[in-house]
Amino acid sequence: MLLVQRLRDRDEGAMTIFYDKYAAALYGVILRIVKKEETAEDVLQEAMVKIWHSFASYDASKGRLFTWVMNVSRNLAIDKIRSKQYRVGSRTQPLEDSSAAMRLAADTSFRPEHIGLQEMTRQLNPDQRQIVDLLYFGGFTQSEVAEELNLPLGTVKTRARAAIKVLSKLVR
Amino acid sequence: MMDIQQYIESGILEEYALGVLSADERAEVERVAQQEPAVARELVAITNALDSYAAAHAVAPPAAMRERVLQAWENSLRETGPAVAPAAPVMATEALTPRMAIAPAEPVTATAVPTQGDEGGAVVRQMPAAASAGRTRWLVAASIALLLISGLGNYLLYNRLRQTESSLELAQAEQSRYAATQQAALNERDQQLAILRNQAFRSVELKGTPKAPEALARVYYNTTTKAVYVDVRNLPELPEGKQYQLWALDNGQPVDAGMLATATATGDSIQQMKNIASAQAFAMTVEDIGGKPAPTMSTLTVIGNI
Repeated sequence: MLLVQRLRDRDEGAMTIFYDKYAAALYGVILRIVKKEETAEDVLQEAMVKIWHSFASYDASKGRLFTWVMNVSRNLAIDKIRSKQYRVGSRTQPLEDSSAAMRLAADTSFRPEHIGLQEMTRQLNPDQRQIVDLLYFGGFTQSEVAEELNLPLGTVKTRARAAIKVLSKLVR
Repeated sequence: MMDIQQYIESGILEEYALGVLSADERAEVERVAQQEPAVARELVAITNALDSYAAAHAVAPPAAMRERVLQAWENSLRETGPAVAPAAPVMATEALTPRMAIAPAEPVTATAVPTQGDEGGAVVRQMPAAASAGRTRWLVAASIALLLISGLGNYLLYNRLRQTESSLELAQAEQSRYAATQQAALNERDQQLAILRNQAFRSVELKGTPKAPEALARVYYNTTTKAVYVDVRNLPELPEGKQYQLWALDNGQPVDAGMLATATATGDSIQQMKNIASAQAFAMTVEDIGGKPAPTMSTLTVIGNI
């Protein structure tokens, strides 16, 4: 709460504390989305600037600071991979490109160095994990995922709900 | 009235938490969540689950990055204004980052390849020196065998080196991640400790009323600066749409000292409240979210004299 107040008061010293508290979590998720360390650093930097400048739009009654800053960073990272797809210039559907990349990445870049992550992914079956990752790291809606994986929308929703239920049990 | 279970199962709450809804759809979800406790509960569970999934992916950034990122953020403040700012830091890092991207791959190939070349060369050079055909043949056979053995040895050593390197990397990553989380926790504790240690603060124990005998909270009141902090030990869970409100009692008159954030009410953090000019006691009541100008005495939960 102290940190939120200091950020709201435009206290510049608060950003150092903010970095120490949240950089690892934000950087980890950004890196998971953009894959490259130098791009991840760029995105983290953009995220810090954006969080600072749009802090007034954070509403503490709607959720935790962590949730908000994570969403800001995640969206910037997702925008980044999508904009790259555009820059390549292919007029094919950007969604297909990026989700194919996501699927590839899910296999290659998975580094089970965190007990938390290992435990979580052990509890999720591969189908559930694929859907959570597409939704959370790919920024897709459930209908987009359904189309992409060629599954009925109902199945996607059921799996997403089941996956999230598994995760919330682990949290408790 | 809509079917709540059906609404929850529609998947819209997941999409809300994932941030893929339009502004209108978001507002609608928030409206429903405010009216339906079951929806609000589900939404909190989903958000928490995704937050911890995200947190589990934490990777401590390289130590040198801290300076660069904070510096770039600071530069963006000094520049013309918020509208232009976000573009600047991106350019600043592109100049800085490439060198660290190339470094890690090199050592493995550099050590492994020359070793194999050297030993192979040394064995082959002996061949012309052989005298008789029989001896030559024997020597060739022996050198081939040696070559194979040394090749195999190299291969095994190389593999072990790679394994060692990758487990070292894992251990280092794990260690720096741990250090980062500990450091962050420590910083927060330090801040809280600074408040508690400050002599000017008086600690006021707020005990549970007969309504909530288990409840316990503490107020730290600085009579010089008038600052008030609250630290919750245990408070009953709140009904939907309610919040704890802190009151200062000055000559029997209740003065609003602010609302407790959720993290404060659950005891997760200490919160600074409104400054209070003068008080002889503090108390908390349960009020509608946002608070009331005067306390609802029937919901008095904890109270304590200075």
